[in-house]
Amino acid sequence: MWPQRVQRALGQVAPSLVRRLSARIVDELYIEVKPREAAKPALTFPGIWLRDNCRCASCFHESSQSRRLDWDNFDASVRPLALHVDANSQQLHVRWSDAHESSYKLDWLQRRSFAGDKQQEYLNEFYRPRPSHWAGKQFDSIAQRFHYDQVMSEDAALQQWLQALAIYGVALLSGAPLDEGVVRRLAERVGFIRRTTYGEEFIVQAKPGAQNYAYLSLPLPLHTDLPYYEYKPSVNILHCVVQTKSQGGSNLLVDAFHIADRLKREHPADFELLSSIDVDWNDIGSEDGREFHNIWRAPVICLDASGEYTRINHSVPQRDSHFNAPLEKVLPWYKAYARFVSMAQKDAHSFKTQPGDVLTFNNLRLLHGRTGYDDSEDNSRYIVGAYLDWDIIYSRLRVLKKRLNVAN
Amino acid sequence: MQVSRDLQQELVLLRASFEQPAMQFPEIWLRDNCQCPKCYMQQTRSRLPHGWNYLNTAVQVQQLSWCVAQQALHIEWNDGHQSSYTYSWLKERDFSPANRARYLRDFYRPEPRHWSGKQFALIQREFQYQELLSSDEVLLEWLHHLAVYGVALIKQAPLEADVLRKLCNRVGFMRRTTYGDEWSVRAQPGASNYAYLAAPLPLHTDMPYFEYKPGVTLLHTLEQSDSPGGWNLLSDAFHVADLLRQRHPRAFQVLCETPVDWADIGNDKELSFHNIWREPVINLDANGQYKRINHSIPQRDSHFSVAAGQVRPWYEAMALFIQLANAEACTFKTTPGDVLTFDNLRMVHGRTGYDDTDRNVRHIVGAFVDWDIAFSRWRVLRHAQGYCK
Repeated sequence: MWPQRVQRALGQVAPSLVRRLSARIVDELYIEVKPREAAKPALTFPGIWLRDNCRCASCFHESSQSRRLDWDNFDASVRPLALHVDANSQQLHVRWSDAHESSYKLDWLQRRSFAGDKQQEYLNEFYRPRPSHWAGKQFDSIAQRFHYDQVMSEDAALQQWLQALAIYGVALLSGAPLDEGVVRRLAERVGFIRRTTYGEEFIVQAKPGAQNYAYLSLPLPLHTDLPYYEYKPSVNILHCVVQTKSQGGSNLLVDAFHIADRLKREHPADFELLSSIDVDWNDIGSEDGREFHNIWRAPVICLDASGEYTRINHSVPQRDSHFNAPLEKVLPWYKAYARFVSMAQKDAHSFKTQPGDVLTFNNLRLLHGRTGYDDSEDNSRYIVGAYLDWDIIYSRLRVLKKRLNVAN
Repeated sequence: MQVSRDLQQELVLLRASFEQPAMQFPEIWLRDNCQCPKCYMQQTRSRLPHGWNYLNTAVQVQQLSWCVAQQALHIEWNDGHQSSYTYSWLKERDFSPANRARYLRDFYRPEPRHWSGKQFALIQREFQYQELLSSDEVLLEWLHHLAVYGVALIKQAPLEADVLRKLCNRVGFMRRTTYGDEWSVRAQPGASNYAYLAAPLPLHTDMPYFEYKPGVTLLHTLEQSDSPGGWNLLSDAFHVADLLRQRHPRAFQVLCETPVDWADIGNDKELSFHNIWREPVINLDANGQYKRINHSIPQRDSHFSVAAGQVRPWYEAMALFIQLANAEACTFKTTPGDVLTFDNLRMVHGRTGYDDTDRNVRHIVGAFVDWDIAFSRWRVLRHAQGYCK
């Protein structure tokens, strides 16, 4: 399903379109490139952007794929003076008011169209896929399973796994060996492990006297990991090596973007509070003899400038007793938060991973937890975990899309 | 100690004397932060989460009292639970705006002070490498200076490969990127990164193409070019943004609102990458404070995913920003054994070109530490000095 859409997003141009192009200067500042067929829309490019992205050797450094234009002397009032379209070489030539001359391949231009729908297509298909939110009861229809060996050996399987993770925030791998190196091998298949205060790989098993609440066999209510970091680890990889035979130890998962959608619809005032009041998230302790005191202040529901979700923060044990909120907002905030937590609990999907399963999920979006279990010598639970960051995952996904697109 | 309730706002008030304003605590917050072993786990220093499975937001104080012997507030709740809170614990968490501001400034993150290029000599500080490794006080001073002014110079580091690792481990740990842990900056013909050339490197921030952009850059000079070039350039982009806001408010707004596609395409060893992050040049948080500056001419994508009409105003604003940044830049030349450290979310840095020949080389090793990790160390050291209870 991918290659054709990616191809479109990356803008492969039909040869017939290219051969019949004309170009003209509009309002002295824009360059319009127009196919002869009336049905094809014209492409309009800001002249200053074209000048900035001149591909000649003195403006663009080929081996580092980067701009080398001298911006200390850049003329922001630069204008195109003359145009020429070469149908044979499929290039647009421009002469500029600063005496420079530039050439652009038409397919290069096409891929950088400023048309709103083309830009949106590029962003969705290539920059970051759009997430699809889901309710707990839809879990079985959205949670995809991949085979560990295939993900490790086939680029197409690797891409499908990462794509599912990006869109749904969760994906499962089966058939992983039961050694402790699985999460590292998987992370290195993508890029590299994201290190935290707790190291690179971590082991979740009952440890009496543990400094972190997750290392106890008690039930672990829904939460996101490490909300006390500005750079919160993006994706959890949890490899089940040994699963408890007791009743408990089930995984709980809920799509907090879906919960936020519902809150926004059903209780907009609560949504407003949870997306605007900064909460102090913290973690105090020591690991390997080294003390830490992490704090990050951010709302439970974090939005970007266009109102899209960027991140959910939730962890009852890791919410600081310091609460730097205006006094009169405290009680309303608690009521809103209690509602959010209760909606999440009701929507949580429960399942139990088996030895050889690797559960991967988006830690900026999903809440996870586990039910309590009975820890004894012949009834233990052993999970190896690690994190990956989205920066690294999306980079791998883009490289794969380009590679598989070329192969197709 | 006088204890009372504000029934309307559901607050507990605590007043040490008539001259002082009462400390104020929301009742629901007190219940949520009960310090008894059923609600709070001393060993993990965290709230036990079970109460939240059935948190009753209508919970109310039934009885209040002050215990002189324990210097503690006792509360009986209408859910049958009892809690007690010590005076020093409460005082630290008072909800008054003054106390909250104190906590944020003294313990969360110190307030940055912006500076112009000509003030560089006044704000710049040097630290001795050996002292940083051996003294917690010096370590704290360095981190504090870096957080407030965004730059600090470490002197007298040995010309050895493990200097940056030792420094980073002193703070916490290195931040790995697509270029590995440590990276070398020296002229490499045919390099896949523009910084690895001998050409002048205009002012920039490192790695704007990451959502998680590395927080602090450390540059260890091993060899410095004898040619007239190879000077460091540094400019406080928060100050530049201040100037832009004063002199060209419209341009400031454009740079705060126009998302730019930052990109890096290439490979380092076996790892191929195609990094993209879309974000404006000047990034403000919800309170209008600077969060991060992005700027790098080579790493700005030719894809520009905004409406065509937004393009020219952005270029005009950016040209003003760059002119101001250049005008405000200070210059100096590090010598072998120097480690230059600066806030990569705030400073723009660069270097003048140099003449690279066999007998005239320049070799810098770089690494990153993230602010999450640096501030954690800063707090641990501040805590030891009694800043937060």
